[in-house]
Amino acid sequence: MNTYNSWKKIKSKYAQLRLNIYLLKKNTLTKWALYGVVLLTLIALIVPIILPEDVHVTQDANPRDKLLPPSSDHLFGTDELGRDIFKRVLLGTNISLRTAVLAVGAAILIGVPIGAVAGYYGGFTDELLMRLTDIFLGFPPLLLAIVIAAFLGPDLNNATLAIALSWWPWYTRIVRGQAVSLTERPFVKAAQAMGTPSARIILKHIIPNCIAPVIVQASMDIGGVILTIAAISFLGLGAQPPTPEWGLMVSTSRNYFLNAWWYSIFPGLAIFFTVLIFNLLGDGLREILDPKTRKN
Amino acid sequence: MKKKVALILVLLMILAAVTACGSKDTPAQQPDASGQMDVLYYAYNSIPVLNWDPSIEFSNGIIVMNNIYEQLLRFNAATKEYEKVLATDYSKSEDGLVWTFKLREGVKFHDGTPFNAEAVKYSIERTREIGQGAAFIWDAVEEIKILDDYTVEFVLSYPAPLDIIASCPYAAFMMSPSLEDQPDDWFEQGNANGTGPYKLQQTTMGDEVILTRNEDYWGGWGDKYFEKVIIKKVTETSSRRQMIETGEADITTELPAEDIEALKSSGNVVVEVVPSFTNLMAFFNTQKAPLNDVRVRKALSYAMPYDDVVEHAMGGYAKQSIGAIPEGMWGHSKDLYQYKHDLDKAKELLNEAGIKEGELKLLLTYMSGDEAEKKMAELYKAELSKIGVELEIRAMPWESQWDMAMGTDPSSQQDIFVMYWWNDLATPYSYLYSLFHTEDSTLFNLSYYKNPEYDALIDGAHENSAVDIEEAERGFIAAQEILLEDAPAIFIYDKNTVWIKSPSLKGHVDNPSYPYVVFFNKLYRE
Amino acid sequence: MKKYIFKRILLGLLVLAGVVTITFFLTRVLPSNPAAQWVGPRATPEQIAAAIKTLGLDKPLIVQYKTYVLNLLKGDLGVSLRSKQPVLTELKTYVPPTLELVLISTVFAVIIGIPLGLYSAKKKDKLLDHFCRFFSVGAVSLPTFWVALFLQLIFYRWLQLLPLGGQLDAKLKLMYEVPKITGMLTFDTLITGNMTLFVDALKHIILPGITISLYPIGLVARMTRSALLEILGEDYIKAAKSYGLKDNLILWKYALKNSLGTTATVLALSVGYTLVDTFLVEAIFNWPGVGNYISTAVMSMDYPAIIGVTLLSASSYVILNLIADIIIAVDPRVRT
Repeated sequence: MNTYNSWKKIKSKYAQLRLNIYLLKKNTLTKWALYGVVLLTLIALIVPIILPEDVHVTQDANPRDKLLPPSSDHLFGTDELGRDIFKRVLLGTNISLRTAVLAVGAAILIGVPIGAVAGYYGGFTDELLMRLTDIFLGFPPLLLAIVIAAFLGPDLNNATLAIALSWWPWYTRIVRGQAVSLTERPFVKAAQAMGTPSARIILKHIIPNCIAPVIVQASMDIGGVILTIAAISFLGLGAQPPTPEWGLMVSTSRNYFLNAWWYSIFPGLAIFFTVLIFNLLGDGLREILDPKTRKN
Repeated sequence: MKKKVALILVLLMILAAVTACGSKDTPAQQPDASGQMDVLYYAYNSIPVLNWDPSIEFSNGIIVMNNIYEQLLRFNAATKEYEKVLATDYSKSEDGLVWTFKLREGVKFHDGTPFNAEAVKYSIERTREIGQGAAFIWDAVEEIKILDDYTVEFVLSYPAPLDIIASCPYAAFMMSPSLEDQPDDWFEQGNANGTGPYKLQQTTMGDEVILTRNEDYWGGWGDKYFEKVIIKKVTETSSRRQMIETGEADITTELPAEDIEALKSSGNVVVEVVPSFTNLMAFFNTQKAPLNDVRVRKALSYAMPYDDVVEHAMGGYAKQSIGAIPEGMWGHSKDLYQYKHDLDKAKELLNEAGIKEGELKLLLTYMSGDEAEKKMAELYKAELSKIGVELEIRAMPWESQWDMAMGTDPSSQQDIFVMYWWNDLATPYSYLYSLFHTEDSTLFNLSYYKNPEYDALIDGAHENSAVDIEEAERGFIAAQEILLEDAPAIFIYDKNTVWIKSPSLKGHVDNPSYPYVVFFNKLYRE
Repeated sequence: MKKYIFKRILLGLLVLAGVVTITFFLTRVLPSNPAAQWVGPRATPEQIAAAIKTLGLDKPLIVQYKTYVLNLLKGDLGVSLRSKQPVLTELKTYVPPTLELVLISTVFAVIIGIPLGLYSAKKKDKLLDHFCRFFSVGAVSLPTFWVALFLQLIFYRWLQLLPLGGQLDAKLKLMYEVPKITGMLTFDTLITGNMTLFVDALKHIILPGITISLYPIGLVARMTRSALLEILGEDYIKAAKSYGLKDNLILWKYALKNSLGTTATVLALSVGYTLVDTFLVEAIFNWPGVGNYISTAVMSMDYPAIIGVTLLSASSYVILNLIADIIIAVDPRVRT
């Protein structure tokens, strides 16, 4: 019976997957967004291997070639120390994607267990944890991240941590809702009846069954997080020079944009397209995975 | 479908209406009635005034206060002479312990209170009592005696150059005793009452200051001078540049070299490059291994690409420093040793000190937002990597950068602290004492440098400066020789001040003793 | 119902208390040196020691917290370390210009964002939908600080149409009496009828206004679209359709009304985002608002100012959310 059940589960999951893939293919915008994400990921993975960041920073600095306009030698022109903006924008992909994934991952690591515990235990624990979550949600978005980043000290890792510390409540909310309904489900009740320790039930039954909506939410958040990192770096609280981080590049370019428009334009466009692609994908995924909007 | 079109039309109309209002016949930068009132506009890169109390303000505020308030004397860095402002004459005893000032008669504060000996005594005692900001400059004063209405005598506890002190850009302003009748938060409300050529008309917190002419100014007025002056905070360099280009602002400074070049070639503005008393230094943490080894510090001094930094971080608007005292300030000597960029020598010295490639990792901190410091750090990093030293650069808000340096544990502190220094008092002592004199608890000796021989030398020179300037100068130069031999810091460059002015603006003369101060009453339009 | 609203208000107060507590300890536990900040650059050890006493920093943190909260209850937000002005006084000057921007962006979000979302939902998967979706997703993907630079480049430098920054031409300010009623200049100059000032104020607000509006427009359009798609799938709409009611009538009258709750929530969220966007943009436009104020405060770790602004923006955010929740709760159609 056990095998039958899991086989059925797998089969239905597979059918579900097939349906999702079908819907994804039908949705042109989302499909292209997916290709875009794959491309960005490839750039993020490959570029640092062929263009190591430190070599680029130290040996490319050639102030005599500063602020050259775009040309065949320098596709996006050069910056104030003669570094190739195209290479720096490419290198920036890795930084933005990596920090965004880290920040969202850390937020999930904090948010999910809290949500699961709150939803599973209910009562006072639930009340306490969810009011705490409400407090964190009471900060306007970004503000808390900026304040934390400022006081942790300017550094990309600190900025990542700051974002995670201000982002987790969103995941707590999702997981808590799921956990409440899961607790009522027979397999959880059965496990409880068999005397399985609560911690084990949460780890084995509750959390794994919450993963799907969390992943959807995460994919929707990546774009916003990339934007947040750029904003924090723009304020001087994130990446430090000479890191080729996009927000930092736009920030530096403020001093030069009247003479060198290309310096501001390209890193800004990189932020825009990356965030756009992730947002389109996130939107599309939500539409596909959320049965409510599918009805229409 | 029709409704959709209608909707889009409405939206377009709203947009059009909004933009139409914006683009109405007059160009955006021209006030409709320009010419009716001639206003001088100084676009300043930061908050113009932090604290309106002239006893306390030890920051940007001098750019405003030197026009509202006056000192007894002002130091003219070009002629090296003292201009008589509120004092008409002064003399000192041979031992430099008693100074007598004759005061200008017939001067009134903006509220009508007469300026006299009582006001001098009141102002200085008030500043000392509050004890904030630059109050320390009056440290030597033991007693202020009112000899008559217009004569004051200062009795000092040790010889000190009171003429230098009385002309200090900070904390030497004369205030009216009528201040006692004002409520405690009078300054906080944004009020001022000095003897200067301009009165404070209005201030929007931290942002904008409007001055209006003091018609009763003792120095008198011609009819060509400005009636109103606006000093406005414009933090973005691009904004300041554009305001000058369009004629919205009349004078500004602190633009990136690239903008200065572009403005120069446009020919629409006047660019004036003058030396300043500001220099950039990188302080080594001499308490931390391996920077406690003088060979390592020398190696790192040789690794700095001085010419590239001057040329590319400052666009040529600076000069490599010789010693710790900027050129133009007394105590500066061209004969002192000057480190040159020499990577071979740097490598050799590191080898001697037993440091292998890739072994040394250093943390450099600088004040965030300073583009020149940032570029210098990046260029330095590139050079250091060539000799196998890894440099981490960290931009920090000033308070954090300083706070990190204050810690008691050297290992948690930065290795290299980058900072500009400029004069408070117009004496080399301002640099040599604050930056390198032994300190019990760290303040600005950011190299944590301790050398009793050096301390004795500069303390002696300082006392000499009250009686024998030449002897004092020799002492200050000898002290710098010690610094260059011990290399507790890299003296990177002496900065130029670059003024960008509207071509119609005349009468502006820079005085580096009063950094970024524009004496508005000398300016007129032609 | 009353009980629900009461509970929501109580929760709102709890959240604000939490916000104050978290911000206070966050800004105080993490390394910073308020005393050094207070006395300013080039301080002497005696001055710093005196400042530690004045600021009460020698007392245990919990005592400092108690003092802070007690003062707060009296309406005293403390004194800015940097300017030594009461934070409340400073906020009074800086809030109206920011409020002006927030109001404008909210108006735009409503008059552009909602129709955009509406038509997008109606024409789902058609070209118009793709266009609207692309636009709205694009609007929320733009780095605002970059848009600001870009608009300045186009409208000031190239077209010379609009001013670069500030709220009003400084010289005009000297020629005319600038009315001070609400502190929102476009509004004040309009109601006092000074057209010269009004036009100038309007010119100054266009660029920051557009920059700040982009995100809310995109956000509202996106959320309206997805809320409507949900509603359009409901049975009663299908019923209405089968009765032969006109599409537009259904859309505007029934569907939109039902998405009111969502829209209110989204507007609250969008105000939250706008507030924070002002941090990034006000400095570029030299706009004398809270954003400019707090970015300076954050950079100089001026904790009373930071807590003040955080509390202020959190309060407005919480209040807006509260209103949205109450709308949802009160509106019987929404509740079903």
